[in-house]
Amino acid sequence: MSDQPLVQMRGITKRFGGVTALQDVNLEAYAGEVLAIVGDNGAGKSTLIKILTGVYQASEGEIFLDGKPLEMASHSDAIDVGIDAVYQTLALADHLTPANNMFLGNELTKTVMGIKMLDNTRMKSEATRVLDERLGVRLRSMDVQTDSLSGGQRQAVAIARAVYHEDLRLLVMDEPTAALGPQETARTLKLIKTLREQGLAVILISHSLDDVFEVADRVHVQRRGRAVGVVQTAESSVQEVLGLIVGAQDAVA
Amino acid sequence: MAATTTNLTEKTFMDRLEPYLTFIGPMVMIFAILLFMGIAEPVRYFRLSNLNLILLDAALYMPMAMAMTFVITQRGIDLSIGSIAALSGILMAFLIKQYGFSAYIAIPLAILMGAVMGLINGLIITRFKVPDLIGTLAMDLVYRGLALVIAKGLVLARFPDLLTDIGRGQIPGFIPVPVVIGLLTMALGYWALTRTHFGRYTISIGSSPEASEMTGIAVDRHKIYAYVLMGACAALAGVMLTGKLNAIQATSAPYFNLHVIAAVVVGGTSLFGGRASMIGSLAGVLLLSMMINALVTLRIEFFWQSVASGVVIVSSVALYTWMQKKDRDGARSLLAGLRTTEAQKLMKFSALLIGLLILLLAAGAGLATDPTPSG
Repeated sequence: MSDQPLVQMRGITKRFGGVTALQDVNLEAYAGEVLAIVGDNGAGKSTLIKILTGVYQASEGEIFLDGKPLEMASHSDAIDVGIDAVYQTLALADHLTPANNMFLGNELTKTVMGIKMLDNTRMKSEATRVLDERLGVRLRSMDVQTDSLSGGQRQAVAIARAVYHEDLRLLVMDEPTAALGPQETARTLKLIKTLREQGLAVILISHSLDDVFEVADRVHVQRRGRAVGVVQTAESSVQEVLGLIVGAQDAVA
Repeated sequence: MAATTTNLTEKTFMDRLEPYLTFIGPMVMIFAILLFMGIAEPVRYFRLSNLNLILLDAALYMPMAMAMTFVITQRGIDLSIGSIAALSGILMAFLIKQYGFSAYIAIPLAILMGAVMGLINGLIITRFKVPDLIGTLAMDLVYRGLALVIAKGLVLARFPDLLTDIGRGQIPGFIPVPVVIGLLTMALGYWALTRTHFGRYTISIGSSPEASEMTGIAVDRHKIYAYVLMGACAALAGVMLTGKLNAIQATSAPYFNLHVIAAVVVGGTSLFGGRASMIGSLAGVLLLSMMINALVTLRIEFFWQSVASGVVIVSSVALYTWMQKKDRDGARSLLAGLRTTEAQKLMKFSALLIGLLILLLAAGAGLATDPTPSG
């Protein structure tokens, strides 16, 4: 873990009309580290990461990338600077093959006799390579529909889409294990650890404190739009974090 | 993460068959017709001139089935194609007969006008958020009405050779010209479906509109593309029909929409979106033409055609739905479902309806007097 945070959010406030969703929130994410964001429903977790991934713009506050101020007008701006997200729904089209899903909206093409067309062969080989090299996942067949894959494999395809961009530096994962069984959850957590070892900064949103303590290095706790504490998982316990979430106990933010 | 550990033995015979289902389905039905006709009327059905006739009939529907495959795969539907074909045909006929346009210009013009009508359909659906079923049904009335307004009941006939060549020309010793056109559009459609952004996004939009939107695909624009393609292909069919009959009137092509939708659905393209089969659509078109031709060959009254088409559509869609159902609720046989209480209630209700029907018929027959002939 380096000293300089990869991404720093400072004094982020977000208002929707008269409702203040976020109030003066600070957040730091480091390369090679998994940061978990936890909190009750409506605590502002989703709003926070939507600001970080350029979907929303903060009403007040600044975001720094490598210490330099960062202005994002849309999600594609965030992707351009190496910040991407994997949503809970995974945004997969079930009838397409894993490779086609991985390149959906960003297909590889070739030009044959002056006509630009999709390069299905190269997309398949690239998808196989990225899944294997970056995520250590080998699918039995790359020609099946994505809906025939297991939950963990689908997650891998969605992550592969993000990590295919070589300049990806921060990956946000919104409740990746919410709909998974124990076995698939273990696989997904292993994927997250693999990404951390590759030097990526990972931000994980989760309701499951067991998962959080399994993979995260630090935990950022949100309550009612405010950051109420950041704790190191090595020096903390589920009880302490739970206390922060429900407000029974306050730590120094 | 270890490689997948999915149990191979879980794969049943049906699972392995499933990818080929869309192709096997219509093929089985085509072979059933061939077999049946081979026994019933082999001489007249398999005559070369009759096979030519089947192809000629099928060719008319191939371009539309190709385009409809895209529309349906995107979870859409277009009920206006018959009217687009008629209106484009009428407009082309007027340009040639009334204004002396060259057929070489009037034909591409007609196809472009069809594309514009498709564009209007697409804009109504994506911009005004009118559901496709209602939107295209209403536009069907509009286009048909305009065709009637323009043609005023006239039949326009006798067109330049180019048009009749397109509609019914025969390449000596080979297949008719329209069949070449139809197969070409089908091949182009297959290429577009598998090798272009439009085709890929068509499947993803039908599979999951939300996911497509999230990955940055212009969902509305690609929907409009599909309707424009549909309009252009319907107009092409209108041109081919005009050439085939060497005549066109405003009431031409009345049942194009249902015939084409039937062919596409029979071919295994899912009405629920995401599942496309261009080869299946071609097989579906051939199947319907073969079936209708078989009815004619067997000298069955013309009106039975519509009954047969309906039965084929319902049974094939029901079959696909049943086969694609992942979880069959442990139902071991079709009859197992009849033992539930819900099924019992439905059976009693049906029995009541049929009982009433029989009662009324019996009463009518018992009280009947000598009928007075009408008219």
